[in-house]
Amino acid sequence: MSDEDREVDGKPDQPTPLRGPDEGVPPHPEGKRPSVAADITALATGLKTTLGEFFSPAVTLEYPEDKSPRSERYRGRHYLRRYENGLERCIGCELCAAACPVGCILVIAAENTDENRVSPGERYAKTYEINMLRCIFCGYCEDACPVQAIVLGPEYELSDTSREKFIYTKEKLLEPLPPDVQARLDSKGPK
Amino acid sequence: MAVATDQVTLQVDGVSVTVPKGTLILDAAKKLGIDIPIFCSHPKMEPVAVCRMCLIEVEKMPKLQPACAIPVAEGMVVRTLTDKVKQYQQGVLEFLLINHPLDCPICDKGGECPLQDQTFQYGPGASRYDFQKAHFDKAVPLSDKIVLDRERCILCWRCTRFTEEISGERELALIKRGVHTIIGTFNDEPAQSVYQGNWTEICPVGALTSRQYRFISRPWDLDRTPSVCPGCAMGCNIQIDSRHNKIGRFQSRENLEVDDGWLCDQGRYSFPYFQRDQEFGSPSIRRDGQLAAVSYPEAVAEAAARLQRAGSSAAGWASPGATNEELFLFQRLFRETLKSPHLDHRQQGIHETDPEDIGLPIADIERCDHVVVLGGQEVIDAAPVLHLRLHKSQRHGVAVHRVDEVKAGLAAVPAEATVVGVLATAARRADAITLQNQLVSKVKGSVRRLIVVRGPNGRGAKDLGILPHLGPGYAVLNGRAGRPRAEWPKAGIRALYIYDASPLQEFGATEAELDWLRSLDTVIVQRFKPSVLDEYAHVVLPGRAFPEKDGTMTSMEGRVQRIATGIDAAHVWDDWRILQAVANAMGAGWPYRTSESIFADLAKAVPAYAAAAPAQGRVLWGER
Repeated sequence: MSDEDREVDGKPDQPTPLRGPDEGVPPHPEGKRPSVAADITALATGLKTTLGEFFSPAVTLEYPEDKSPRSERYRGRHYLRRYENGLERCIGCELCAAACPVGCILVIAAENTDENRVSPGERYAKTYEINMLRCIFCGYCEDACPVQAIVLGPEYELSDTSREKFIYTKEKLLEPLPPDVQARLDSKGPK
Repeated sequence: MAVATDQVTLQVDGVSVTVPKGTLILDAAKKLGIDIPIFCSHPKMEPVAVCRMCLIEVEKMPKLQPACAIPVAEGMVVRTLTDKVKQYQQGVLEFLLINHPLDCPICDKGGECPLQDQTFQYGPGASRYDFQKAHFDKAVPLSDKIVLDRERCILCWRCTRFTEEISGERELALIKRGVHTIIGTFNDEPAQSVYQGNWTEICPVGALTSRQYRFISRPWDLDRTPSVCPGCAMGCNIQIDSRHNKIGRFQSRENLEVDDGWLCDQGRYSFPYFQRDQEFGSPSIRRDGQLAAVSYPEAVAEAAARLQRAGSSAAGWASPGATNEELFLFQRLFRETLKSPHLDHRQQGIHETDPEDIGLPIADIERCDHVVVLGGQEVIDAAPVLHLRLHKSQRHGVAVHRVDEVKAGLAAVPAEATVVGVLATAARRADAITLQNQLVSKVKGSVRRLIVVRGPNGRGAKDLGILPHLGPGYAVLNGRAGRPRAEWPKAGIRALYIYDASPLQEFGATEAELDWLRSLDTVIVQRFKPSVLDEYAHVVLPGRAFPEKDGTMTSMEGRVQRIATGIDAAHVWDDWRILQAVANAMGAGWPYRTSESIFADLAKAVPAYAAAAPAQGRVLWGER
């Protein structure tokens, strides 16, 4: 199709301009011209806000010296609980691992014997590992646990220096619970 | 019309179905795809209707009827989805759960438990029972293989009926009455049966569980691979259940033609032999009297150089636990590359063989009217699941004669018998043929035999010519025959290649043979686990275990079945790859990349295998 054909069709190549050649910028409305007094008023209004905030109490904290309080339902790092007589609560049923949406929990179970009793009943967790890098802290493991063995505590500062250190083994997970978590669980009544 | 009288038409949930007379309502509904929940009913056992889970409404019958025990009748109208049926199903489950402990989290059955599944599907959701549950003994050892939890038992009688109807051993029984009823053995003695593993599979709850599998894994964590049992030549179909690349258990994978859905304990609990629980050494070469670790290519080059030096005075022993593909390459390595005829797969005894040995398929035992088991228990020990088939046949009217002597066997079968079977182990094959020939002239019907060979692929080893006097497909080697294993020490053999594929069917050298091994120039040992032969080896080539391979196996009845890789062992060379590398180092130029490509060549060399393998069918030698 040649250029002549296009003109015959009467369809121009260029889009129509929004404003015509004789249509200029509209004039400033009368009485709204900028003035010095208006500028000073605007400055004062802004400073009022700044100074008001300057003397009001601060909402930020001097982290890491100061820390904000956690809600008691906060889901931080996991703990494995023990009974008062020292036996582990975990029975190695793997329901936490089954409930986990990211598959960060590994449980390998074994059988309790009279010589080596780790938990009440027949079964205990020989291996219990959580990959904290994968964990999304959803708390499903705590929900799924039939013996309330696993709980999520308030700690959120989990940074470390190597990937291997983020695989929390049973020794680390069995550390004593922080007192506030213990108090929360105790307030739920005996389980 | 004869056909019409044998068929009955009934209605289940408004849909008409025509089934043979005598069919149970449960099976008629199943034909329509209508699921009726069951616990005690089992397709291979007589109905007892003790669990009451399958109650359904039948028109004109005042009370609900157990679908598992009522045969169909013409014009019957069955309803399985009415409110009354639902109410009864919930009631039955509520009763079953009154004393059933809710220890599903620690129960090995949890996740594959019919009681769990059906409570979820048909149950009431909550219990109204507020009182103390009745407590029974937990974790009672029934034997060294089975653990019984009496609290979990729902008294379906499946296990007691198994020992009565399927195995005929009557080991388990119901003890006491009413709510106090428990399952147990006589006088609490340990169970002796060799079919105990099946109890755990038929138990609809976690009452009977395997000690070996105890707390190993939850069912949803298992990787399942279809395979064939490595225990004996029976060829029972199994499923390798593994977790974290370790075998957890063998489960049966029903094949009505072979195992009828059962396994023996010998096979089921054999997996620790094949477990790679540690590393089994790298390829090694003997230098200055010590085995030194080397790479695969180095060990293969050394093996090839030593074999080439020996040439036709090299001998090869391959285990009857190897796959057909490996055996085929082993045989080619010797006959084609080394031009040596000295091949064997057998132990000391020299057993002849021919395709007639598989004349009687396992499933056809049920269709015989007389079966002679020559050697009695000896045959059962060689293939234990055969006993279950014989017992089933016996219940259906087949006369099974267990005899020790040919004479007794001949006397046991009357002249009017029409279909007669003879079973014997390979060691008594000659007697079996004598008996068969005498029976042929005595009875008016047909007489066929089945020889129970040694090793899961003992049949394949014979078919593919791992024999000094027969080539692949029983080709007769006129004048080119080699010497059998028993004669090797005196046959001027200079090099020996032992391919020890399975710890269950190993080389098993005698004292005299070990002395002979020490005197040899070259001993090459290709094996899975370290063996006593390593001490005598000049080259050790570690191969793969049974669950780590893929390929085909031929059962004693000539059924070519596939095994698949269930356990990953990528760092170990495939056995066929080792054999190919050894042959190629001598200039054979084999191009195989997969075991399937080897099978394609195998099928060309032995045409009878071409038809058998894809359908997992039997090799039919008659149509060669």
